[in-house]
Amino acid sequence: MAHKLKLHCDNVSKTFIQKGNQEVPVIRDVTLDVYENEFLVILGPGQCGKSTLLKIFAGLETPDTGYVTLDGQPIVGPGPDRGIVFQGYMLFAWKTVRDNVELGLKLRNIPKSERRDIGQHYIDMVGLTGFENHYPHQLSGGMKQRVGIARAYANSPNIMLLDEPFGQLDAQTRMFMQKETARIWEQERRTVIFVTNNIDEALYLGDRIILMEGKLPGTIKTSYDIDLPRPREHTNIDLLKLRATITDNTELVL
Amino acid sequence: MSGSSIANETIDHSKNREPFSFYKFITNKYFLNVVSIVAFLLIWDYVAKEKIFRDSLARPLEVVDQLYMLTYMKFAGTNLAGHIWASTQRVLIGFIAASIVAVPLGLFMALNKYVNAVVKPLFDLFKPMPPIAWVSIAILWFGIGEMSKVFIIIIGTFVPCLLNAYNGVRLVDPDLYDVVRVLGGNRRDEIFHVCFPASFPAVFAGLQISLSSAWTCVLAAELMNSRDGMGFLIKRGMDTHQPTLVLGGMVLIAAAAYGTSLLVTLLEKKLCPWKRTIENL
Repeated sequence: MAHKLKLHCDNVSKTFIQKGNQEVPVIRDVTLDVYENEFLVILGPGQCGKSTLLKIFAGLETPDTGYVTLDGQPIVGPGPDRGIVFQGYMLFAWKTVRDNVELGLKLRNIPKSERRDIGQHYIDMVGLTGFENHYPHQLSGGMKQRVGIARAYANSPNIMLLDEPFGQLDAQTRMFMQKETARIWEQERRTVIFVTNNIDEALYLGDRIILMEGKLPGTIKTSYDIDLPRPREHTNIDLLKLRATITDNTELVL
Repeated sequence: MSGSSIANETIDHSKNREPFSFYKFITNKYFLNVVSIVAFLLIWDYVAKEKIFRDSLARPLEVVDQLYMLTYMKFAGTNLAGHIWASTQRVLIGFIAASIVAVPLGLFMALNKYVNAVVKPLFDLFKPMPPIAWVSIAILWFGIGEMSKVFIIIIGTFVPCLLNAYNGVRLVDPDLYDVVRVLGGNRRDEIFHVCFPASFPAVFAGLQISLSSAWTCVLAAELMNSRDGMGFLIKRGMDTHQPTLVLGGMVLIAAAAYGTSLLVTLLEKKLCPWKRTIENL
């Protein structure tokens, strides 16, 4: 794997003020590096600050201390160089699948014909061919998140940020979407930061897993390299060994 | 591969045809709808025939007869269509004039806190006042002509139009703005790609409420003072003790209100094809 530094997060801390003056420290002193074309999984239970960390990478939150750089440039706000897939799909109900996927291109004034080609490419990639003119409410949860993924990819971002993208899906669909995510990543190599609370998902997808502490404020506990061939099997013996190591090191409920 | 995956997630819509069953038939939704309406008409007819309200309740067919007669006979200078149109015209003028101003103002209030700070207190001051309370002052200001009637309707429709447009924007999921910004959009894009389309259903809900309020207002105005319109038919029926005319006017105004509401529904379907419709509401 290439070892070019892609994203650098330096000593980032964040505290939220709740209900007037109650301070809630969410992240403390998080430092991490993400390399080009790496599939990095940030694993931690609910309420450990991992989504906030991703929002800081997205530029939707600003850190109180520390800084984040992407390709050497500091992140100061949201921008199309980072593609984000949200947990709650966050599709535009009033736009068709095609218009949802093409929105980023439209906002950047890409001519219509080119937009159509790029949009179609990513609609095909996520397997939604034939659903271009459907509205989100006509789709199942898994299909909605495919639209979310296609929308993020279509903007050709430098890095993909996925925030518990399959959290709302049933186990069956979730497993299938993991497979699809791995396939898409093989097909369109990008740097990916994938936030999840699901250890099997993390093991199945990640090149590297960053494990976070199970309480606030969120800190990095440790990290694991997963040097296993793809496509992976959930029942692979080395994977299961690593799973045991990680679960021994966490308070994750199994 | 991905094609088959989609198939796994879609729902099978096929229905099995079942053999005819008497129980299924009498519990059929549409059958029960018809039973309910027919029973209502029969009870009405019975009550009228037995003179329970003495001669003040007409039988359903007498009402139909009366309305049919009015279609070819002039009543107070115009036939039935003329009276229907007189009221409908007032409603449409007032409703359109109010919504053209109120909807943009409501959207603007939600988007700009300074506009909101100026308009909101005035609005809160007038909001609790029932529109009918304006009838007398409207007649003092504008006389008994068209203008005073249209004015009442504007007063009655303005509030729900504005309130719903305002809330429609304020209730938009703020995370959706983040999506636009992440995709590279600016404030203008947030407004045009999220704010406005997301508030459409609320705006249309407001238009529906306004429309029903407009019919209430036109009726009140016509009962007070008018020479044509459906409210006038009702009033004249009351003054001359003709229950067929009163009931006929009531039926007509309900039908006209339903018709205009249907038009707004159709317009909404056209403009918001993405909206999931709720059945039987």
